[in-house]
Amino acid sequence: MPNRNRLHGEEGRAYWSMVLPAFSIYLLVMAFPIVLSIVLSVSNYSGGKMFGGEPWGFAGLKSYARVFSDPLFWNALKNNFYIVLLSVFGQLPLGFIFAYIIYRRLVKWPGFWQGVLYVPNIISVIVVGLLWQTIFSPNGPIAEVMNDLARAGFQSRLEALFASVGGFNVDDGLVSKILDMAGPAALDWFSDPVPELKELILSYEGAPLSELIGDLCNLFVPRWSPEFLSKPNIAMLPVLFVILWMYTGMYLILFLANMQKIDSQVIEAARIDGASEGQVMRYVILPALSGTIVNSAILAISGSLSSFSLIFAMTGGGPSRVTEILSIYMYNNAFLGRPNLPLANAISLVMVVISFILIGLTKMAEKRYGGKEE
Amino acid sequence: MSDEIKTTALGRIGGAAAKAAAYAMMLLFTAMTLYPIFWLIMNSFKSTREFQVSQLAFPKEPTLSNYVEAWKMGDFGLLFPNSLIYTIGATVGIVFVSLLAGFAFAKIASRATKPIYNGFVIGILITAQSLMIPLFLEVNLLGIYNTRFAVLLVYIGTGLPIGVYLATEYIKAIPSALIESARIDGASFWRIFAKIIVPMSMPVAVTLSILNISNIWNEFALINILVSRTELKSLPLGIYKFSGSLSTDYGKQFAALTIGMVPMLLFYIVFRKQITRGVAAGAVKG
Repeated sequence: MPNRNRLHGEEGRAYWSMVLPAFSIYLLVMAFPIVLSIVLSVSNYSGGKMFGGEPWGFAGLKSYARVFSDPLFWNALKNNFYIVLLSVFGQLPLGFIFAYIIYRRLVKWPGFWQGVLYVPNIISVIVVGLLWQTIFSPNGPIAEVMNDLARAGFQSRLEALFASVGGFNVDDGLVSKILDMAGPAALDWFSDPVPELKELILSYEGAPLSELIGDLCNLFVPRWSPEFLSKPNIAMLPVLFVILWMYTGMYLILFLANMQKIDSQVIEAARIDGASEGQVMRYVILPALSGTIVNSAILAISGSLSSFSLIFAMTGGGPSRVTEILSIYMYNNAFLGRPNLPLANAISLVMVVISFILIGLTKMAEKRYGGKEE
Repeated sequence: MSDEIKTTALGRIGGAAAKAAAYAMMLLFTAMTLYPIFWLIMNSFKSTREFQVSQLAFPKEPTLSNYVEAWKMGDFGLLFPNSLIYTIGATVGIVFVSLLAGFAFAKIASRATKPIYNGFVIGILITAQSLMIPLFLEVNLLGIYNTRFAVLLVYIGTGLPIGVYLATEYIKAIPSALIESARIDGASFWRIFAKIIVPMSMPVAVTLSILNISNIWNEFALINILVSRTELKSLPLGIYKFSGSLSTDYGKQFAALTIGMVPMLLFYIVFRKQITRGVAAGAVKG
C-alpha cells in the first residue's frame, strides 16, 4: 500500500467515516470524563446544574490534600494492594500449577478441569458476592457445619459417659462430670449446678436416654455464630478468599493458552535427555512464559482497580468502611451522606494516574520481554 | 506419548506420586468451585423455613414458589429483556464500530492512525470503573441520565479499546493484495469493507462478541450509576435488590441468584471453547 501522508478524495472520506464513529464514542466515554474529573477535582462544584446553576469555581488542590490526608483513602489503597498481592502470590502461582498439570497431561480429561475451574468467572459478580455473603454469615453453612460438628462431639462424649456408668445411673459423680464437659455454659442455667442438674436429669427417668442426651446438648453446646464479615479486623480475609475463588481460573486459561504455544518437541527432547518434570517446568516452561507472567501481573493490578461490584455486593465496603477499595471509597464519597464531588473526582483521577503508571510499566515490560510469548 | 520415556522404576513411582498429587489438587479445587454453586441451586428449592433448619440436606419438599415470588419481586420480567437489549445492542455496536476503525487503521495509510490508534491501546488499561463519577456527571450534563441510549453508549465506549486493538491487529494480517485488486476493479472502501473485510474477520468478530457478551450481561458498576428507573434496569441491578433487608429471606434470594446465574452458565456450556479462546486473546496484551 502506497504510503501517503495526506489522504485524498474518496480515500480520505472513507478513512474518517470509518474511524470517527469509534473515535467520537471513545472520546465521549473515556476522554471527556477524564477531562471533567480534572476540572472538577480542582473546583468547589457541589452538584446541581453545571452551567447556569449555582456558580462554582477554582478551589486549588484542596481536594487532593484531603484525599492524601484521609486515612480511609490509605485504607482503600491498602486493600487494592492486598488484592494485587493475592493475585500475584496466590492466583498466578495456582493458575500456573493448574495450567501445568493440564498441559503436561498429569490428569485425564484436561478440558473438563479447565472448564470447571473457569466457571466462577462467568457468573455475575453480584451473584457471587451475595452468595458468599450468605455462606460466611452467622446463618450460613459454615456456621451450620461447625455447630453440627461441635454438637456431634458433645453428644458422643455424653453417650460414652452414660455407657460407662451402665445407663441411667445418676449420682453426683456423673453429674459433676457432665458439668465439667459443659464448662462455664452451665452457670448460664444453674446457680447451684450439681443438685439442680441432678434434679433435672432425674426428671427424665423412664424416658429414652437419647432424649436426655439431646436436651443436654441443646443446653450446653454453645452455638457458634461466625463473624467473618462483621469483625473489622478480619473482614477483608473472606473478601480476598472469594476473589481467589473467582478469578484463579482466568490465570489458568491465560497460562494454558500460552503454554500451548511452546514447541512440545523441546519438552520431549528435555525429557529424553533425563530432565525431571520439575526441571522441565523450571528450565523450559517458566522462561518461555516470563512475558505472560508479567502480563498477568499487570492484568492483576488493573483488575484490582476495576473491581467494584463484588465487594459492593458482599460487604458494601463495611464493616465501618474497612473493606473499601478505591472505587468504593470514591463511590461512597460521591453518593453517601454529604456528597463531595470534587473529592470523588480527585480520587477518580488518582486511579487514572495509577493506570497510566501501569501503562508505562507495560511498555517497559514489553521492551524487556516483548515478543517472547507471542 | 511419554510412556516410553519413563523407563526406570524410580521414574514410574515419581510419576505416580505426581499424578496422585495432581488429581488431589484438581479434585479439591473442583469441589470448592462447584459445591457453593450446587449448594445455592439446591437451597433455592427450599422454603426459607426449611433452609434455616437444614442447609446441607436435599430439599424435602422441593418448591418452585421461591422462583415465582422472586421473579415478581425482582421485576425480572422487565429486566430480562433489558439485559438482552443492552448485551446484544452493545456487542453488535462494539464489533461493528471496531471492525470499521480496525479496517481504516490497518489498511488505509494515514498520519492520523498512529496517535488515534495509540489512544485506543492506552484505553485498554484505563478502567471505566475509575471514571464512574465523572461519567455520572457527564450523562447528567448531557441530559441522558436514565436512558437506554446512555447505557449503550457507555458500554460500547468501554468495549472499544480492546475491540479496536484486536480488530486492527487481525485485519492487518489480511493480505493487502486482496484489497488492492478490489480497488483496481473500482470497488469503494465501504464495498471492500462489506464484501472482503467483514466476511474475513468473522473469527475476531466472534472472539469480540464472546468477550463482551458475558462482560455486559454481568455488568453492574456502571449501569448502577446510569439508570435508576426500574424499566431501564438490567438483571444484576435486580438481583442486587435481594441484598440488604431482603437478604434474610433466603429462599427468594437464592432463587433470584440462580435466575441471575443460569443464563450465563448455559451460555458458557454452549460456547466454552470460544469463551476460553477469547479470554486468552483479549488478555494477551494487558
